[in-house]
Amino acid sequence: MADTPTTRRSFFGLAGGTALLCTIGGEEVSVEGPETLRQADAAAARVRRPRATLAQQLPQIQPQPGGRRREYWIQAETRRWEIVPTRRDEWHNRRIPGRNTYLAYMYRTMTPGFAAYASGPNIPGPTLSGDVGDVIVVHFRNADRKLRQAVTMHPHGVKYGPEYDGAYMGEFTRAGGFVGPGETFTYQWECTPDSVGIWPYHDHGPNHTLNTFRGLFGALEIRPRGAKRPDRLYTVFAHQLPPPVTGLQRNFQCLNGRAYAGNTPTLRARVGQDVEINAFGMDSNFHTFHIHGHRWKDAAGAYVDNPTMGPNETVTARFVEDNPGRWLYHCHVFTHQDTGMTGWYVVEP
Amino acid sequence: MTAAALLAPAGANAQTYPEPKDPGKVEPKPKGPFETHTVCRKKGRCDFRTIQRAVKAADAGDTIRVRKGVYKEAVRITGRKKRFLKLIGNPRKPAKVVLDGRGKKQNGIFVNDADEVSVNGFKARRYRANGFFFTNVNGYTMNHLIADRTGVYGLFAFNTIGGRMINSEAYYVNDGAFYIGQTPPQDNPIQTMVRNVDGWGSPIGFSATNMRYVTITKSRFYNNGIGIVPNALDSEKYPPPENNVITDNDVFWNNFNFHEGKPPFKPRTTGTAALVPIGTGILMLGGRGHLIENNRIYGNYLSGVAAIDGILLVENPLAISLDRNIVRGNQFGANGTDLNGRDLAYDGSGSDNCFSLAGVGVTEPANKSTFAKCSNGPNGLNTTVRNTMLSWTGKNAVNGWIKHPHAAKPGYTPLEIYNP
Repeated sequence: MADTPTTRRSFFGLAGGTALLCTIGGEEVSVEGPETLRQADAAAARVRRPRATLAQQLPQIQPQPGGRRREYWIQAETRRWEIVPTRRDEWHNRRIPGRNTYLAYMYRTMTPGFAAYASGPNIPGPTLSGDVGDVIVVHFRNADRKLRQAVTMHPHGVKYGPEYDGAYMGEFTRAGGFVGPGETFTYQWECTPDSVGIWPYHDHGPNHTLNTFRGLFGALEIRPRGAKRPDRLYTVFAHQLPPPVTGLQRNFQCLNGRAYAGNTPTLRARVGQDVEINAFGMDSNFHTFHIHGHRWKDAAGAYVDNPTMGPNETVTARFVEDNPGRWLYHCHVFTHQDTGMTGWYVVEP
Repeated sequence: MTAAALLAPAGANAQTYPEPKDPGKVEPKPKGPFETHTVCRKKGRCDFRTIQRAVKAADAGDTIRVRKGVYKEAVRITGRKKRFLKLIGNPRKPAKVVLDGRGKKQNGIFVNDADEVSVNGFKARRYRANGFFFTNVNGYTMNHLIADRTGVYGLFAFNTIGGRMINSEAYYVNDGAFYIGQTPPQDNPIQTMVRNVDGWGSPIGFSATNMRYVTITKSRFYNNGIGIVPNALDSEKYPPPENNVITDNDVFWNNFNFHEGKPPFKPRTTGTAALVPIGTGILMLGGRGHLIENNRIYGNYLSGVAAIDGILLVENPLAISLDRNIVRGNQFGANGTDLNGRDLAYDGSGSDNCFSLAGVGVTEPANKSTFAKCSNGPNGLNTTVRNTMLSWTGKNAVNGWIKHPHAAKPGYTPLEIYNP
């Protein structure tokens, strides 16, 4: 990085891409580039299985009457991931030159028993759905053997005991907080009435900051039993992929792992449809979620068109579509929107 | 069914097996540099003339390439110094590289306490105990193997963690063509994968005593006494079997009555193999948390899927109960062209067992009462059904058969009684 001349664009990119400070199994690592990234991964691979994870009784969580166990089989794996597949920014109609592929860590849906792939690995991971009274059961496997470190799935919003927290906590760690290479763990999370909402889940293993930045995150969708689901449901994660994580020269401001309109998700709807777009902050910055030409009510009942979301915070925009056309949606932090955190929203009449 | 089965005939077979030990964590990957050793029958062409000598010379992580030919050996790979060893025959045509026990030797390849050993592309024939036997290991690969008349089991993994059995075939053994058993319980289990294997012509296609965390998929089990049987036994540690997934397999024509005729192996008169209810596709004999889903199950004269609690357990009463098993989405009877005698048989023992009745025809009981409940407590034991199912033990199962004609299946011939 140091010997690369700073251009206007890389300056904007760098503005948000300073070193990533991580604490990994008792070691503090400042991830600044490929070399320190390797050091961070080596530190994470050195983290020993906490003794407390051994020999514990895991309760079987039963659903409430009328509810059911919703089983998911999900594995985490590493894969090369292209941030700007088209190599263009459709918004400004310009080329985006340079390397844009990095080693991502991603969740992937599998068929029962991890017998076969049920989807590609993706950023974000699959959206897990449940109604109030259900139990979300996630059979989770760490299928990566390259980075040789433990990862987990840690949910927000749902109810669980400490055994299903999915968090590394040093000597206090339970089995679900340290899923080593090749290993599995089955999480069981309850959908209680106060779980209603759209929540993120993400890695919370010993190297959680780095691996969450790499792409280990997704959404949980909990609704009241019998509630009407929207006609169109979208989840959009605003996050950056900075040089320390990717080893690339520039900082990419991403939506769902992609940067620049035409690469980021193009949301689609028709006039009259009940649309719900859930936006999440998934890095160390604050973002906003702005859709051109639309307003909606926030949780307090006020009309908004550009609410703020912090790290792991969700903004839900739900409205009945009434304004056809091609619109932009983006984070309104200006450096973010100009360096990739923008997408199309296309409404057909 | 196995430790006892293996140890019991030890006198007759003059071989003792290692005591099970904790397979522990996977040993660290060796650093290298790695060597490749070659083996062939012809003098002077390769590094060695027997596989065993090559194994002896090899260090952890080395590769041994075995050229085509017949090797009259019983290969042993023991200890951590042989971990990550790769034995490669002919993965495309495993039958070209033959291990021959000539009815005298015990195991074709026997791996004990050497983690992540990979054996790829061999055929074992005429052994007395097992074709390929892995025990006390954390991680293994058995790929492109054929076991033909290899004694008790074809491909056999005992007291192991993780591992893979893939792209292989086993037949004409006197117990289970494939076997995984006594899996140590783990907090963060490592899934074992069984994919694309053929188990046929044996009392049991896939035998699984106290087996855990195994996925059996895209495989075929046919012309056995019974197709697949996860079972709970005292004779091995850690009963009952738990958390296995059986999905996307073909389980058909398991009506091989090896008690009659002249089977190509010495039939067992004791042990579970002698007791299996002939004519069954998949039997859960005790066990917890199994998922049997999306399989094609047809032409089994007694029953497609049967379930009963761990009736053979005496010393482990807490492990008897049959709990939280799910059977759903299976296709029975090949669209009506090749019906099972019954699609499901279940005595209602245990709790929270859930059978989907979509596409299910004849059942035991006929009124489907034991399948009514799915969660939140005991399913409701029906002793009449239970007694009926118990009367189907061993060759008496034939009395319970409801025979239907098979649909022709190119490349496969139904086997009921073997008379060469």
